[in-house]
Amino acid sequence: MPQETITLEVFRYRPEEDKQSTFQNYDVPYHEHWVVLDAINWIKDNVDGTLSYRWSCRMGVCGSCGMMINGEPKLTCAVFLKDYFPKVIRVEPLVNFPVERDLVIDMDGFMEKLKSVKPWIIRDDTDQMDQEYLQTPSQLAAYKDFSMCINCMLCYSACPVLDGDPEFIGPAALALAHRYNLDSRDKGNEQRQDIMGAEEGVWGCAFVGECTEVCPKNVNPAGAIQQAKIASTKAWYRSVLLPWGKR
Amino acid sequence: MSHLTKSNEAFWWSLFSAGGVMAALFVPVIIFVTGFVLPFMMGDDLESQYDRMQGLITMWPTRVALFGVIFLSFFHCAHRIRHILMDFGVRWAGVALLILCYGGAVAGTVVAGVVLARF
Repeated sequence: MPQETITLEVFRYRPEEDKQSTFQNYDVPYHEHWVVLDAINWIKDNVDGTLSYRWSCRMGVCGSCGMMINGEPKLTCAVFLKDYFPKVIRVEPLVNFPVERDLVIDMDGFMEKLKSVKPWIIRDDTDQMDQEYLQTPSQLAAYKDFSMCINCMLCYSACPVLDGDPEFIGPAALALAHRYNLDSRDKGNEQRQDIMGAEEGVWGCAFVGECTEVCPKNVNPAGAIQQAKIASTKAWYRSVLLPWGKR
Repeated sequence: MSHLTKSNEAFWWSLFSAGGVMAALFVPVIIFVTGFVLPFMMGDDLESQYDRMQGLITMWPTRVALFGVIFLSFFHCAHRIRHILMDFGVRWAGVALLILCYGGAVAGTVVAGVVLARF
């Protein structure tokens, strides 16, 4: 029996030779246990070595292989060919990002946004960094779900706000900022407030909730942002009603 | 980030949130009580129904509670409409949209206040 195949319609853009992006079709052997990333790797190894894309762990941990699969942001290591067979699978780079080449997006803007929310533990007693900061299970539970983010950026592609306003800090970075604000060891809430409470911060979110829908790690960025809105509202009222006090 | 725009959205959002609670929890209760429970309890005499309802509304705690529900529901509605219009691309209207939506809520609140005070 001949080997069954499935067609991948892959977005191509090579800036040194293409003025415009195109789509290229590849017929790939169909195996029930293959994920889309396996098919793309097969193309790279056997048909077209010029195809560029990011990948690393193949197990939904590194967050590198996010792409648009038939218009939906997915980790290509976590989506099986059998879910689409025998139909054509359209593979495109994540939307809401500039494309560098083929399926590789430019992450610089995302990295800048991520850094801007200071996603690390901030303390004022850095001279005592050799000591342990203990946490109870409930203190850990307060932020644990929000700490599962792998920065795969699927939520940035799903977010309709970012589609219209590229300055919006975006779901992953805001959820991560909220994660640190909730951490009992962190003292950086005030330092993050200016960015969290800005138009580009939590107030840019229209609570569509698509970020939560597409998140492969069940982080619930939409929920984090809504919680952060409550915290930001309290800070705003404190700054207006008690301008002489600390936020 | 290169620039951040300071936001007072927290104020509007707090009214929107409080209005959402009112609209979701209290408005159905008010409709149920005034539209179904009380009329059934009072029988068919419309004139006495009206008098008793008026007696209920002219009590100051009722007036204050109704004012709270109506005022916050107006702001909930205004905020939602403003954001729907912004999502449809009317972001360019900026301050004008703000004045139109929340101005409408303020106008509605004033009318509700006057009507309730004169009842």
